[in-house]
Amino acid sequence: MTNKSKWLGFIFVVPFLVSFLVFWLIPLLYGIWISLHDFRLSVGNNGFIGLKNYVDILTPDTIYNRTFMTSLKNTLMFIVLSVPPLILISLGLALLIEHLPKKLKTFFRTVFFLSYSISVTAVSAIYLWLFGANGGYINNILMKAGLISSPINWTGDQPYAWLVIVIATIWWTIGFNMLLFVNALDEVDGTLYEAADLDGASAWNKFRFITLPEIRNISIFVMITTVIASFNLYGQSLLITRGGPEQSTSSLIMGINTTVFGNNQLGVGSAMALLMGVIMMLITGIQYWISYKSDKDDLAKPSRKERKRLKRAVNAGPTNVNQHPAATIDKKERKIT
Amino acid sequence: MNMKKIGAAASTGLLVFSLAACSGGDSSSDSGKTQIKFINGFTGGDGAFMTKIVDGFNSSQDEFEVVQSQEKDHYTKFKSGNYDLVVIHETSLETYQKDQLIQDAGPYMETAGLAEDDFNAAGIQSGTVEDKLFGVPLDIHPLTMFYNEELVSEAPTDYEQLKALGETLQSENENLYAFGLPSTGLTTFYFTAAAAQNGIDLAKDGYLDFTQSDYADALMQYHDMVFKDNTSPEKLGLDGEFQAFMKSADEGAKQTAVTMTGPWYYQAVKEKYADNLGIGAMPTLFETAATTGNAHTISVAASVEDEEVKDGISEFLKYLYTPENLANWAESGQTPSHLATLDLITEDPEKYELAAKNQKQLDTYVAAPRVYQFDEQMRYMNEVVFTKLTSEPNLTKDALMSELEKATKAAKQIADTQ
Repeated sequence: MTNKSKWLGFIFVVPFLVSFLVFWLIPLLYGIWISLHDFRLSVGNNGFIGLKNYVDILTPDTIYNRTFMTSLKNTLMFIVLSVPPLILISLGLALLIEHLPKKLKTFFRTVFFLSYSISVTAVSAIYLWLFGANGGYINNILMKAGLISSPINWTGDQPYAWLVIVIATIWWTIGFNMLLFVNALDEVDGTLYEAADLDGASAWNKFRFITLPEIRNISIFVMITTVIASFNLYGQSLLITRGGPEQSTSSLIMGINTTVFGNNQLGVGSAMALLMGVIMMLITGIQYWISYKSDKDDLAKPSRKERKRLKRAVNAGPTNVNQHPAATIDKKERKIT
Repeated sequence: MNMKKIGAAASTGLLVFSLAACSGGDSSSDSGKTQIKFINGFTGGDGAFMTKIVDGFNSSQDEFEVVQSQEKDHYTKFKSGNYDLVVIHETSLETYQKDQLIQDAGPYMETAGLAEDDFNAAGIQSGTVEDKLFGVPLDIHPLTMFYNEELVSEAPTDYEQLKALGETLQSENENLYAFGLPSTGLTTFYFTAAAAQNGIDLAKDGYLDFTQSDYADALMQYHDMVFKDNTSPEKLGLDGEFQAFMKSADEGAKQTAVTMTGPWYYQAVKEKYADNLGIGAMPTLFETAATTGNAHTISVAASVEDEEVKDGISEFLKYLYTPENLANWAESGQTPSHLATLDLITEDPEKYELAAKNQKQLDTYVAAPRVYQFDEQMRYMNEVVFTKLTSEPNLTKDALMSELEKATKAAKQIADTQ
């Protein structure tokens, strides 16, 4: 490579490098530095205090410990409640769309994605109106139908408050995951389904042995990004439940916000944010490790059905002059068979 | 120039350009006027009236321009942004002064021709920290009573009347109640009312001490209002006192005849009830008559040093505190603490209906305790304790006291962060 092309390449990389430095690396390093200081939002730095902020957060019975632990517990609860439906329902919608006639596909894909473009304020306003405890739309319907005798305090009692937040989140964000799955399903080699049809495979078996393995990578990606997104719960719980009832839906971001802007403690808030980042990295790492490990295990020991499926797919040969299904099978898979 | 130099120059340029974008701007606009950046939290019905005042000032000026931001989270934006003027509640004023976010407003008032004598006593108290005015008093917003004249002909003045009203309404329709206690939201006013009307001082050594037996008794009365006297529905949720007043019992919702809420809801309740809207004063729910609430003050950011901006701020204050201009603020439903404007309101009580009624409450107004981070010290009470009082039928005084101890412990720790 000549010097000229080296420098030309460097110039192309500069915009990314600048963005990376300005919006990621410098704020991260600055955040770490702030977390090691008695830093107030109003008056700035009051001096280096080492790990005191972290110690305060992790020492039981301090305000920072209570804020952090309560909001961490709430956030983890939200992740447990929201991630499975956000993945399963979006996959279900993607499968539904995949089986629609081509003309309707675009229409429904847009309809399901539309809610993703709405602001969290509007989403919260809609759900507050729907789930109002006193004269809310859902309560009115349930009472008129005779299903409940007195109104349910949807946003003021548990577990209803979580239910409302999870439903609002699913309705709001499901379109993004769905679109990823739709694209992944589009990439699945149709000849595998043809081979399975010839073999008389049921719809469930086709889903289990063809679709799921084929969209495995995107599923892992969706799972990891959904967990990360769920860690950032803020708008819905702030606007729909105000963190209640009794602080049970107050999220980590809300806790950090209170610490920084309410209590004026930028140093402690930065330490909380970094601890949150570490926890997110740990969980993401564990997810990645489990998926990587199971991927390796699957490759090492394919099931009898899997081996059969692959054999048939390889032996099926081209179904028309332009298609070579055997060539689409991963090299690793062919080696295993 | 070789490629190495071009590359270095380009990357340096990009870096400088990116970092330059992070720096702050100056105080002059394209029109050459000196800009005063003013942030407030008037995002409700009152926001339009403050905008009218700001627009009026801007159109009267060749030299200065007030650039207004109305933000729901204006405190957050003020702390992290670059503003010259800010509206601060009296309960937060001491905190902002101690955190060195604001400066002495006295010199600005003097230049604007304003003196302490121009304001009523409650107003002066609202803006004073350590014998200096750190906030120019704008208004006092007491807990305000609105009532539905179709359900109650006169404003109830004490709890006995409210209780009797509740019994009458309940006999007509089980969804009708005298008034509503919110689960959360405007509960600070209810906490301070319980203290003020029972003569209890919550402030102790710079923090809020909720663990006083008399105070626990007072709070248990709120519990009784819901679960014993049936005067208020239970579990009304966030801002339930206002929401229940706006609902209709005919549609199956819990409806209240009276609400004690913020005056900023005036436009909304006026729109719904029109001529059937009654306005009263805070009733005596406990032992003695006392009105609680909060106040708005206007403060100058500590960062303001530019002489032209300083002049602009004084000029704006001079315009704002001209009775004809500040009367716009009274028209929104707020009660200015500026005496000359109050006189104007008295002359035309129909036009300034709510302000005219509320100014009578200023005589019995008891300000909230002045402690560092008042709102944060109240957080546990607002987010947990009032919900328990209005949602748990079996709550005992002992269980409440345990919660009050937790709230006091948190309040003390927050006070210690100063």
